Amino acid sequence: MSVWNCLPVVALVAVGGVVGPIRAADPPFAIPKDVQGVLTKYCADCHGAKASGGVRLDGLETLKLNDRLDVLNKVQDQLFFGMMPPPKEDQPAAKEAKVLADWVRAELRQYKASKLDDRLPYPDAGNYVDHTSLFDGSNTEKAFTPARRWLVSPQIFDERVLDVFGLEGKERDNFRRSGFYGVTNPFVLPDHSGVRYYDLTHLDGSHLLVMLTNAEWIAGKQLQAARVKVGDPKATPADPKDKWAPKTAPAAFEVVVTKKGAPTDDEITAAVQTQFGLVLQRQATDAELGQYLTLTRDAIKLAGNTEGLRQMLKAVLLESEFVYRLEFGEGKPDEAGRVPLSPREASYAIAFALGDRGPDAQLLKAAGDGKLTTKADYEREVRRLLADPAYFAGPVDKSLGFFPPTTATHPRLVRFVREFFGYPAAVKVFKDGKRADGYYANADRGNTQTPGRLIDEADRVVLWAMDRDQAVFETLLTTDKYYVYHPHDNKQGPAQIDKWKAVYEALKDTDWKRDPEQVAVDHADVIKKYIDPKGTTGKSKANHDNSIVRLMTHFEYTFGKGRTPFTVLPWAHGNHYWYSPLYNLPSMPGQGGKYGGDDLLDYQPVQPFALPNRKGILTHPAWLVAFSANTASDPIRRGKWIREKLLAGVVPDVPITVDAKVPDDPHKTLRERVSAVTQSAACVKCHSRMNALGYPLEQFDDFGRFRTLEPLEHPDNLIKTGNGKSTFDVYKTKPIDPTGVLSGTGDAKLDGPVKDSFDLIDRLVKSDRVRQSIIRHAFRFFMGRNELPSDSRTLIDADQAYLKSGGSFNAVVVSLLTSDSFVYRKKPGS
Amino acid sequence: MTTRRDFMATAALGATTLALAPRATWAKPTGGKPPMRFVFLHKGNGLFPSVMVPPSLGKDDAATEAKKGPLNLDLTKHELPEWMKPLAAHTSDLTILQGLSGKMCTTGHHTWCSSLGVFKANERVSSIKWATVDFELARLFPSPMGHVELACFPLGGGNARGTLNGIATGFSARGPQQPNYAFGSPKLAVQELFKSVSADKEVQAKSQLGRTALEFAAKREADKVPTYASSLEAVRERDRKVDAMADAIRPHVPKLDAKYLADEMTTVDRQRGHVEVLLAALLSGLTNVVAFTVDELGHEYTGLPGLETEKVNLHDVGHGKGFGKLTADEVRFAVRKQHMKLVDTIAARLKAAPEGDGTVFDNTMIFYFPDNGETHHSQGTEYPFVVLSGKNAKLDIRGKYIRLPNYGEPGHKTLGNWYTTLLNAHGNPVKHYGDLDPGLARFGVDQTGPIKQFVG
Repeated sequence: MSVWNCLPVVALVAVGGVVGPIRAADPPFAIPKDVQGVLTKYCADCHGAKASGGVRLDGLETLKLNDRLDVLNKVQDQLFFGMMPPPKEDQPAAKEAKVLADWVRAELRQYKASKLDDRLPYPDAGNYVDHTSLFDGSNTEKAFTPARRWLVSPQIFDERVLDVFGLEGKERDNFRRSGFYGVTNPFVLPDHSGVRYYDLTHLDGSHLLVMLTNAEWIAGKQLQAARVKVGDPKATPADPKDKWAPKTAPAAFEVVVTKKGAPTDDEITAAVQTQFGLVLQRQATDAELGQYLTLTRDAIKLAGNTEGLRQMLKAVLLESEFVYRLEFGEGKPDEAGRVPLSPREASYAIAFALGDRGPDAQLLKAAGDGKLTTKADYEREVRRLLADPAYFAGPVDKSLGFFPPTTATHPRLVRFVREFFGYPAAVKVFKDGKRADGYYANADRGNTQTPGRLIDEADRVVLWAMDRDQAVFETLLTTDKYYVYHPHDNKQGPAQIDKWKAVYEALKDTDWKRDPEQVAVDHADVIKKYIDPKGTTGKSKANHDNSIVRLMTHFEYTFGKGRTPFTVLPWAHGNHYWYSPLYNLPSMPGQGGKYGGDDLLDYQPVQPFALPNRKGILTHPAWLVAFSANTASDPIRRGKWIREKLLAGVVPDVPITVDAKVPDDPHKTLRERVSAVTQSAACVKCHSRMNALGYPLEQFDDFGRFRTLEPLEHPDNLIKTGNGKSTFDVYKTKPIDPTGVLSGTGDAKLDGPVKDSFDLIDRLVKSDRVRQSIIRHAFRFFMGRNELPSDSRTLIDADQAYLKSGGSFNAVVVSLLTSDSFVYRKKPGS
Repeated sequence: MTTRRDFMATAALGATTLALAPRATWAKPTGGKPPMRFVFLHKGNGLFPSVMVPPSLGKDDAATEAKKGPLNLDLTKHELPEWMKPLAAHTSDLTILQGLSGKMCTTGHHTWCSSLGVFKANERVSSIKWATVDFELARLFPSPMGHVELACFPLGGGNARGTLNGIATGFSARGPQQPNYAFGSPKLAVQELFKSVSADKEVQAKSQLGRTALEFAAKREADKVPTYASSLEAVRERDRKVDAMADAIRPHVPKLDAKYLADEMTTVDRQRGHVEVLLAALLSGLTNVVAFTVDELGHEYTGLPGLETEKVNLHDVGHGKGFGKLTADEVRFAVRKQHMKLVDTIAARLKAAPEGDGTVFDNTMIFYFPDNGETHHSQGTEYPFVVLSGKNAKLDIRGKYIRLPNYGEPGHKTLGNWYTTLLNAHGNPVKHYGDLDPGLARFGVDQTGPIKQFVG
């Protein structure tokens, strides 16, 4: 069954058509009678002489081939996306629609001109395969993944460089965080939400320049220790910042560098095999060895031992295999033409599915011992590695720049959730912080600032849900448990607060305001025991010192008012925790050295904790910022995300001719303005799939704050002008309309009007389609490609694994990594 | 940004790195017209708008200037600021451009690619949103090297934080998340750019080794990853083209004094050495676009006139610290004047090089500007520019002192408008280059598109 045949199509277009006059240069063209019938019945009125939308179908036979293919591609898109005939017109029966769709597709495929086919492998076309047919069990094809070279991810590249230097333990961890001075990662992934690491990219010129520079630096470091040993004056880099000096060079390299005369072939062979082992993690074949021997001998003859050897090292580092994952499979094809991964390939596939580094020793041994061939073998190893807290452990996202970073035992699994929701994109959205009353700092030089903190706090919610590993999807979509300022864990934080409380209790009735020095002397034991003894005398003027007056003032406004202080003091160096109002929590006491007012933050040291008016990741400020515009929320993108990611729906690309702008109108809310501009016949076809899902989230502004009123940010509505530092502009407001419509769950009990975002989320989470849509995305994440109809069994099994395990994501992982889709490869044409 | 679609569509047309484009035409312009050249010199620690003002302004104009009101004055009728006097011979080609804002850039101490890319760049490669404007211009005027970047790297903080004498991440970006690389020392730049005609045996051997490695790799990859193999072939093709230009290149190989080739040299000598490389690269046809970091936030300046024995930390100067007998402002003056001498050298030498019916300078624009705006700890309210334009430049700005309407005022323009103007004038129809400033939205300023009054 073809992909196209699985699609829910309705029909479209046009007229007439008989066998037309054949132009000498064009191939014969005829419209079959049954197709003519459909066109005449459903399309002729608008796409005949009227040529609605500029499309005319009553003279296809008179068009030149390219023009005809262009029209047919338009027809195919309209059919595929269910845009034609318009909803108010008569609709063709499924059989009629199929007749037309099959013919259009066959015509286009005949000339390899189907633009829809070209798009199918790409991430944004993942939902093009009909959802129902993937999960109804009707497809019994054997699952497989096409044999492939798969470019490594940015994270795998980093680990491979660590492997070249053979680093382990603390040294590996350190370089994993800091990176190497002379190595730039040549690979980047797009920013969009959804799975991004696919097997579609290939090494090209954009990578090559970086690869050349990297190879130069890495080869230099591989030789450095040996060159130092022979007293080479240029052994150490002139750049004082290029500090790392490996203590040893691989023995085979040292032999060549230190040898007075030319090295023997055996010595060169040993060096080549060493470099193959370090870089490609295999031995060179005889043919390869021959080529490399010639290269190295010639280079040594031209430039000497060290430079000649360097040439060989660089050449191996430039091998594409260094940055590719090879998955071709081996063995005799089965009746479906599939071959399983070789044990070595399987060991890498499993390791790179669960983490970013290659297989551990046990997995390699299993592969070497022939114990990685059956599905039971796969399951044994996958379960073992999922239970291993150390091998893949690392920062969730070192690019956030926080120290220490939030870490996970399996950062790659967290990455799936991050990519699926897309909230890390918050760091890319540039805001005017004044509009958030100064509580929002853009990502800036050296610091990801507020969006970075919000992303980190969303990561913690995800980690918490994944650690529990029960009802994971439901928890992610509905939890009201959040992390807000949590630099110390649930033991450290309360312990710190207890110490401060002890100081406060001891000093609160003393004369600390007028005579802090004497108080410091009188209570030296308490102070020394519970707070940093430096700077407690009240004399200190340093910006970040804990003077007694400062501390006690702070405690008076926190403990003294029945509040708990945050575990980072407001004057602490590098304190960036000012954004609690984005969660609709009060602001931090002591911001800018000021106290006063009754509405100040009462800190929660044990987290996560329940927040009002929040329900899952879609109401987390990180997600809401990521799906917002620079100066406003973005109901269209928020709705599009729900349609595509949760409802497995499709929204056509925005036509290239559209340059839509939301009109200014000082009297209307954003919803009202968006609604007005997207109601035209040309717009509503697509926007009806997005807007009504996004409108309920208008309960949250573009900084993630819950609201019932929307400020009408227009100069005409300015009530009060702020100075932009301590006071801010105030505008007239208008009530939010949070109603919307849920459609496309495939469940009549769930579809229909929703009263607000919480109602919408509550219904979404009950939908089988939503759960299955997340499973589909997990499939893409672990397979690196879109699902095909033949992957139906794999998806059904993963869905069942989730349900039977009570919502375990690990169960989904095990199911996917033991599926035919994961294990089998098929060569093109087999 | 409502015009991103157009921007991305246009940017995608030039997405391939020029240096690797095998079919690019270069050296000889099409249609008999010489290519335009662009030189971007940027400095650290800000550039005060107040020092840009001609001292000869009349009372009314001075009052308008003080209020940062719009001005458009004939510069040839005015005296240049003292530090700018090295450019006196070029006054009719000179533009002093004031009033551009850049709040959509990273501001503060140092900004990396921000001022060339008009987005918030920081230390992370992922923050690079698209190719910087110099790379976009380079795509409009292809050449064998495509683009050359030189830098006096800082050792005491700031970006790019490279090695003084090596090749390291520069200020320009080749594309999204693709930082460019810059040559830190004139010696290395000469070796790499002119290796095809080098007489040095060690350089020749290294060059030969490099070519053999590329050939070897291209053969190895031919049956495995065709896109990679063709990229390797493209580099080889570029090398072959450069080889074919050997006769044109050889006369322009910089003949640098030994002091410019040393590992240890003063900052001023490093700048002069880089200027020689820059001129040679332009005049030989190796490139039509050069970006040059003349100094940066944490630069330890040596060799400044009047401070020859001092190591002047520009970061400290930014914080008001004087050196030797000079106050911080006087050090700033000396630094700027030194920069103007470099600009004068570039302009004068290009004017002395014949091309067609005129000179190479006729087809050149030189930009001098701060990487971080109006001061050491900038807010991005102003990005002052000194521009020298040849007569074939497509903008109507020569010989003028221009102050655009102030931030938030009707008609106010941003760095994005300025670069859009440059790109539109030279063949890239992008509707708007760069990020928008959400803070301007509340003033109702239309911040997209070119600065129409500049388009001749």
